Amino acid sequence: MPGSGKSDDRRLGFKASQEVVVVAISVMLFVVFSATLNNFLSQGNIIAILKNVSILGTLAVGMGFVVVGRGIDLTMVAVMVVGVAFSIWISTWGVDFTLAVICGAILVAAIGLFTGVMVAVAEVPPIFATLAIASSVYGSGRIVFASDVLYAPPDIAWLKFVGNGSVLGIPMSVVIFGAVAALMGLFLRKTRFGRLVYATGDNPNAARTTGLPTRPIIVTQYVISALIAFTAGIIMTGLVTGIDTRLYNSSLIYDVLLVVVLGGIGLSGGQGGVRNVIAGTILVGILTNGMTILNFSYTSQNLIKSVILLGALAIDAIINPRDEQTSQSGDI
Amino acid sequence: MKIFKKCLLAGMTALALLGAAQVASAQETDQVGRAPYLESLKGKKVIFVPISQGMDLNQAWVMVWQRHAARYGFTLEVRDPNGDTNAGIRAMQGAIAEKPDLIIVQNPDVQTYARLLKQAQAAGIKVLQVNMQSATQTDSYVGNDWIEMGRLEMGELAKHCTGPNAVSHKVVWLAGVQTGAANIYMRTGIDEVLKANPELQLVSDQPADYISEKARQITETVLQQHPDLCGIMGIWDNAEVGAGAAVAAAGKQDQVTIVTNGAGAATGCESIKNGLLDVIFNFNAPIQGEIAAQQISELLQHPDRKAGSEKTIFFGPITRVDKTNATGRNCWKPEDIK
Repeated sequence: MPGSGKSDDRRLGFKASQEVVVVAISVMLFVVFSATLNNFLSQGNIIAILKNVSILGTLAVGMGFVVVGRGIDLTMVAVMVVGVAFSIWISTWGVDFTLAVICGAILVAAIGLFTGVMVAVAEVPPIFATLAIASSVYGSGRIVFASDVLYAPPDIAWLKFVGNGSVLGIPMSVVIFGAVAALMGLFLRKTRFGRLVYATGDNPNAARTTGLPTRPIIVTQYVISALIAFTAGIIMTGLVTGIDTRLYNSSLIYDVLLVVVLGGIGLSGGQGGVRNVIAGTILVGILTNGMTILNFSYTSQNLIKSVILLGALAIDAIINPRDEQTSQSGDI
Repeated sequence: MKIFKKCLLAGMTALALLGAAQVASAQETDQVGRAPYLESLKGKKVIFVPISQGMDLNQAWVMVWQRHAARYGFTLEVRDPNGDTNAGIRAMQGAIAEKPDLIIVQNPDVQTYARLLKQAQAAGIKVLQVNMQSATQTDSYVGNDWIEMGRLEMGELAKHCTGPNAVSHKVVWLAGVQTGAANIYMRTGIDEVLKANPELQLVSDQPADYISEKARQITETVLQQHPDLCGIMGIWDNAEVGAGAAVAAAGKQDQVTIVTNGAGAATGCESIKNGLLDVIFNFNAPIQGEIAAQQISELLQHPDRKAGSEKTIFFGPITRVDKTNATGRNCWKPEDIK
């Protein structure tokens, strides 16, 4: 069933889905931090929270889109860093940067297409296909570009605007995240294609038997998620003037997946939406911001983050117990 | 016929004499000690286990060492674990099993290779550590005096952030990886300066993991909390550009001094010119590489010396680079080294 509601919720009389649990924890943390930390509730800090999660959130929208269709895209960070690094690399030959970015987008779309074909046509389980492709994409990039860190040309007006510009006081990185999320939300809810993604995710065999074009749907999902990853990379390049390909080695891809799952998009597919991604993203944003202000050490930050995330999942497991019907095959 | 024979004989004798003379003169003009030097380096096997070859400093070192290896006939193999500690352990184990004449190692932290380095020394393999030390001391260390680096950077901030004209006494330490040698020793140097300048207030001490976006996020948050921040110090120019971007986005470039260190690559100088960074304590990776190359020669020339029997340390140069001297040899490009 599309959306985040489950049949159990009705028995409880209110919609205590995982999304609600996550939002409740976010609100609680927000209240506690606002009461205890100076300047937490300032406009500047709230914008800083949003700005700091714009990349994570953008990536999570793409990941959520794939997960709704019962897939998983572990190539996103590799595609992001290699796609943007490729654009910067060809711009060093004297190619106009804007044109180089378009070339990067084409490369990234081609990688997404290949991933989609591997999953949809060759029927390699998405977790393995994308894990292997992520490694190959990053590895190829590593061979081609000598350095881990590539700097964009300094005088690109639109890239500076992406990094430092704002619309009505909202930084461009947040505007882009919002736009990607809004477009994806509308796409999933309002278009026929969006509904087909839910149908495919909910029960791929049934979808196929009833004559839905499941293979083209899956391929399109991976192409779009790759392009969203590329967009996140462009935001990052605008913000910090360059791209660091070592991000592939960081825990970013797991953070992205965590945001998606935490927000309540089940890995079994067919449920959840952009709202869940935003709920998960904002919880991680508030938590990280508060802990940075409190100057917690790295280790304790990770510990607290894990405990709260585990807590959210545990509360959900208690409120929404799994049974034969709700736990589907394909859940990881 | 007789005359012809005599002529031939005379000619051959002349040739032979000439040849002998040449040999003699060659022996006389051979540079003192060159032949044994060549002999001791030729065919030797050196393995380098870096943290990651994608970093500017690593590229500079390896370019210098490859040139040295090609000229004097030893082999240099780079086993790049690409930032993966487990792959690094396997690379080290593999290197020890191959029994090369020398292992060069850049430690990801002080503990991970500590036992492996002891094993290597016990197996008779000489070990040269570069820039990042292990808890185990081996034959040689070439790299930064990290305690001095911490003192220099925090000392620079102390200049700007103490006294009546300072905007505030608030400073930030954007660490790298907390278990890394650079991080641990820099912290010692920082603490010395903080102790000497009690008015300095360390308001944030967070690791950015050598990633610019993380440095940007931390700086952005800290600036909200402390709008009167005076200074930021970091550990690698390529990461601190993120801090610079956050400061620039807040329009506080004149207020906040950003100090970091780096390999001296041209990209760092560009960041100074763009106003993202104020001061880089430049440890000039190509020169560091040359000092290490000298150590490679030293260690290979004494095959009889027991591994680990003599322990030496060489701290490389550190140059303070700001926008007045961000030129020339303070801003190398990879193509300059070749």
